[in-house]
Amino acid sequence: MAWLVGVDVGGTFTDFFAYDDATHSVRLYKRPSTPGNPAAAIAEGLGEMRRAFGIAPAAVARVCHGTTVATNALIQRRGGKVAVITTKGFRDLLEIGRQTRPHMYSLQIDHPEALVPRQRRFEVEERITAGPSVLIPLDPDSVARAVEAVRASGAEACAVCLLFSFLDGRHERGVGEALARANGGLYVSLSSEVQPEFREYERFSTAVLNAYLQPVVARYVAFLEKELARDVPSAKIGIYQSSGGLMSPATARSFPIRTALSGPAAGAVGAIATARKAKRPNIITLDMGGTSADIALIRNYEADVRFDRDVAGFPIRLPMVDIHTIGAGGGSIAWFDRDGLLKVGPLSAGAEPGPACYGRGGTEGTVTDANLVLGRLSERGLIGGRMRLDRAAAAAALAPLAERLSYPIERVARGIIEIVVANMVRAIRTVSVERGHDPRAYCLLPFGGAGPLHASAVARSLGIREFVVPLAPGLLCAQGLIASDLKEDFVRSLRIPAADPHLSEIRAHVAELARDAQRWFTHERTAAGARTLHLSLDMRYVGQNFELRVPIGRGAGGKPPAVPSVNGLRRQFFLVHDRHYGFHSETDPVEIINIRLTASAAVSRLRDVKGPTRRRRAAPAEHRLVWFAGARPVRTPVYERAALAAGQLLVGPAIIEQLDSTTVLHPGDRLRVDSLLNLCVEVGP
Amino acid sequence: MSRIANTARSLDPIRLEIIRNGLRSIADETFVALMKSAYSTNIKERRDHSTAICDARGRLVVQADASLPVHLASMTGLMRCLLAKHGGAIQPGDVFVANDPHDAGGTHLPDINMAVPVFSGRRLLGFMCNIAHHADVGGSAPGSMAGGMSEIYQEGLRLPVIRLFRRGVLQQDLLDLILLNVRVPEERRGDYYAQIAACRLGERRLAEMTARHGAAMLIAAFDEIIARTARRMRAAVAALPDGAYVCEDVMDDDGLGTVDIPIKLRIEIAGERVRFDFTGTAKQVSGNINVTFNATQASVCYALKALLDPEVPNNQGVLDLPEIVVEKGSLLDAAFPAPVAARANTCQRIIDVIIGALAPAVPQHAVAAANGANTTAVFSGLDPRRGRHYVYLETLGGGFGGRAERDGKDGVQVHITNTSNLPVEAIESEYPLLVESYSLVEDSGGPGRCRGGMGLRRVIRPVGHDCLFNGAGERFAHRPWGIFGGGPGAPGRFLHVTREGRSVPLATKPAGIIVREGEKIVVESPGAGGYGAAAERSPAALALDRESGKFSEAYLARHYGTAKVDRAAE
Repeated sequence: MAWLVGVDVGGTFTDFFAYDDATHSVRLYKRPSTPGNPAAAIAEGLGEMRRAFGIAPAAVARVCHGTTVATNALIQRRGGKVAVITTKGFRDLLEIGRQTRPHMYSLQIDHPEALVPRQRRFEVEERITAGPSVLIPLDPDSVARAVEAVRASGAEACAVCLLFSFLDGRHERGVGEALARANGGLYVSLSSEVQPEFREYERFSTAVLNAYLQPVVARYVAFLEKELARDVPSAKIGIYQSSGGLMSPATARSFPIRTALSGPAAGAVGAIATARKAKRPNIITLDMGGTSADIALIRNYEADVRFDRDVAGFPIRLPMVDIHTIGAGGGSIAWFDRDGLLKVGPLSAGAEPGPACYGRGGTEGTVTDANLVLGRLSERGLIGGRMRLDRAAAAAALAPLAERLSYPIERVARGIIEIVVANMVRAIRTVSVERGHDPRAYCLLPFGGAGPLHASAVARSLGIREFVVPLAPGLLCAQGLIASDLKEDFVRSLRIPAADPHLSEIRAHVAELARDAQRWFTHERTAAGARTLHLSLDMRYVGQNFELRVPIGRGAGGKPPAVPSVNGLRRQFFLVHDRHYGFHSETDPVEIINIRLTASAAVSRLRDVKGPTRRRRAAPAEHRLVWFAGARPVRTPVYERAALAAGQLLVGPAIIEQLDSTTVLHPGDRLRVDSLLNLCVEVGP
Repeated sequence: MSRIANTARSLDPIRLEIIRNGLRSIADETFVALMKSAYSTNIKERRDHSTAICDARGRLVVQADASLPVHLASMTGLMRCLLAKHGGAIQPGDVFVANDPHDAGGTHLPDINMAVPVFSGRRLLGFMCNIAHHADVGGSAPGSMAGGMSEIYQEGLRLPVIRLFRRGVLQQDLLDLILLNVRVPEERRGDYYAQIAACRLGERRLAEMTARHGAAMLIAAFDEIIARTARRMRAAVAALPDGAYVCEDVMDDDGLGTVDIPIKLRIEIAGERVRFDFTGTAKQVSGNINVTFNATQASVCYALKALLDPEVPNNQGVLDLPEIVVEKGSLLDAAFPAPVAARANTCQRIIDVIIGALAPAVPQHAVAAANGANTTAVFSGLDPRRGRHYVYLETLGGGFGGRAERDGKDGVQVHITNTSNLPVEAIESEYPLLVESYSLVEDSGGPGRCRGGMGLRRVIRPVGHDCLFNGAGERFAHRPWGIFGGGPGAPGRFLHVTREGRSVPLATKPAGIIVREGEKIVVESPGAGGYGAAAERSPAALALDRESGKFSEAYLARHYGTAKVDRAAE
């Protein structure tokens, strides 16, 4: 027996998804989080789960963990004290950024202050130019002065940020070595190692954020390793990264910034695993929780990756699953704006005090309160009845809104749902229509506690014909963690014309990256058959300021992917250019800016969990009155998810309840339970 | 069990919010579509474009979120001229195009304005509109933005409101005529098609919304959206103390010999009405810093929105609020044939003046004068490595004014513009230039309780060749002032540094400066004014000014007093 355990730490609950890859059985466990020290809930929860399900310590082979420690440290500004060493003449560059302001019309809102104040930014005499060639050699005296200044500043970490280091990292390494010699305990981040890419501000900013997180994440990982070593000594630890794969604790300590957006990425990977099993290659995921909704577009079982994101107001440049987040969740608060229009969110009641119906002191009407008032949620409440919901409190919270509009409570409740649905529809249009994809060709995959509640209405608004609710919609992130591969990205940032004389140069770079990848495969001791390499190039027309990521090919078994002819490369670029910009030119010169090789190694393959097939009609657990579009409530059957067997058919209206979520079928929706117990719903007219 | 009244077809605040959400979606979707399919770098990379929906009376209903403030009123300028000229004869399939500031409601020639009527049956619902800044519209210099010209004819091809399509049929003769008059016509054809495609996309989306909600409901929603915003803005004005507020400032020069050009403003607030009277402002000038009425209106509305309610939606309700009095033939309502390409510098100054005037009425929201410019540096020459001509153009941010609760932001784009810089690594990869430093300008933020923001400095030299430098600056002579006792920020300047290391100051709008190999150009944008008396600056803030090295000991001693600075240092 070898258990793989995925642990997803949320603001309120820590979820465990355990899978035995010998017997293919699954165990689910949920316990309250410990926000002060998230690792405590992991260590304790793992022990609790083992005891509850009789899993021996030695049987746990791997613990896959998505951490929000880095994200929270950024949001709450609780990182380490950082110094910066940079090229002479460019001390202010990190503060100037892109010289823009974040809000077009606000005179008061600024980008956040630089994480490293000017007095801890030091310059060294050196200069590399675009050649690359060394215009000014690294001056040892200025390095010695800067190293001493860093020491005197009391910094715990130092980011080294030199111009053109993505082409030639020797000067940065020289400074890094001098820092290490002078102070072995100092954390050092070199911009040429964190993400060796073109454009200094984004590269520097990424390196600074990495340095800022190093002390915090190193402490956290050390604690986690120690605790887990005690409880499950043979378990390997995988830390989840924003690109949608796992990395070793050692890598996480060196590059903590890679975990900063990993939370939503795990959900997308879990959704892809579900989509694969349900044989729906093109899906739009809708992960709606308490405060926000995360949306991703999956094409042919692959999520798009993007490289430029902001975290807590700072740009980072790293591969990240392309996820769009909006402030629409169960806790989103309904309010009137200064135009007198009803709005929902982005302000949320969160988990504390939570929606009014939680009875924990919340007084403002939320999306969850509206669902309760309409009968779509049960008063028996969430988490299998462990948390009752108070309908009277929900109605009382909506009453002031109803009075202002002179409407019945239920009509206001329906309005709140319609508006939050419209907000999500707008966000889905952003990731689909605005990027050249027609949502009607996609299947919606709702998850999170509140996704399946709103899926039918969202799908109908977008003209999407089908949605699929996975078996455990509230635990999909934890599930995604163990469906993930070990992953590492290798990049060469350069500038080569996509023209025949340069093909051998391009191939040489790819071969070199492949050698780096092989070393990594060996170091991580991955099985030879489980290794895959993906090659993509960032390309653009000469003169364009932004490049497009062009997938070129993949190599199985760890073999480097073949690099096609220059014409082949150009054709691939034209396809991507067409999709993004609607046109391409056959004749204009094209250049390559980055060569990217992604190495991944499968850790486990979740097998299908097949449910028993029954043709018998499921009996509803109860009936209750639920408001849909009509003027009167409808007597609606309520089913327990566990009672729905494979092959069963239902026609809406119906409500399906389970431990971690509630699914709403509107009148006319037609549901079929597939052999994997997914709810496949054809949206009614 | 209550019964939901079956009035779902009526326009309640819930349905209105959902319709407005749908309209915003359309504006945003067409904004992205235009950006993606256009050819001009200005549109693709700097997003110098905007999209909007107007109603059948030409009123602005919704504008895409990412639209630039300077485009706020351009759309209605086009609509006014379009309806006046073609009002009774608008047909499905027509595509209207215009750019002329004097004849067609534009603000400068590179902004091509477009509108497509949208019908429901035979009923005109409204217009899908967009504006895009083309990389070239002809005229005597590439890019159609150069200074030194005294008539609009020299700035490019002038288009009155014309139909590029009639009832769905392309007027090929017109397009041929237009393209013959612009540089790189194949690319400009692409820009026109991108604008047309964006309008048509919006037209389809509006048709889908009409099918869902009905034409009558949509038209009612247009009215209601504007009316609610108008009420919201009027309420914000009514909350201000009644009275007259005045301010004036002086522009440095027009680049053609006119110097010290005054902008005068008197604002009168009475109840929920507000009147902007620019009487007394300079006559229009020979150089290209003139502004046509729509750009003045956009500047006024930007300032009102920023001071009173930054979150208010952009629609006619905002545009209709201020009554604007400005003399025809003056700097701010320039008459034919005034050149207007560099209007942005003047728009920045109008905003400083408005905020300066209203500061006593809204002390918590007002800011001191910002860098007040659209500081532009252009390097051009023959790239010795590639044997090709190059032109590198950049606009620099500068200081932002001190605020009631916080210092002005250092080195940032202000007010009417928000375009980003070009990375040093991009400049040096693209052009035969070396950036020696990129920094904040020491001592450039005006003193005050909350000090002004600092200007930016870029030092650039040509590599392996001699190059040409052109620049456009403002606030090189008339410094950005402080408010409520705050002091002025530093002026900007251009310096030409010789091989011997001698710095030669250049004019505010220098043209044709030859920079030899081994020489360099220093570009310094202005800082900004401070807010509140210097004596009130906190010791902690002063300590930081000193510790960060942003201000010299001498400067701090001069403006804050030696004793105070010493105390702060302890």
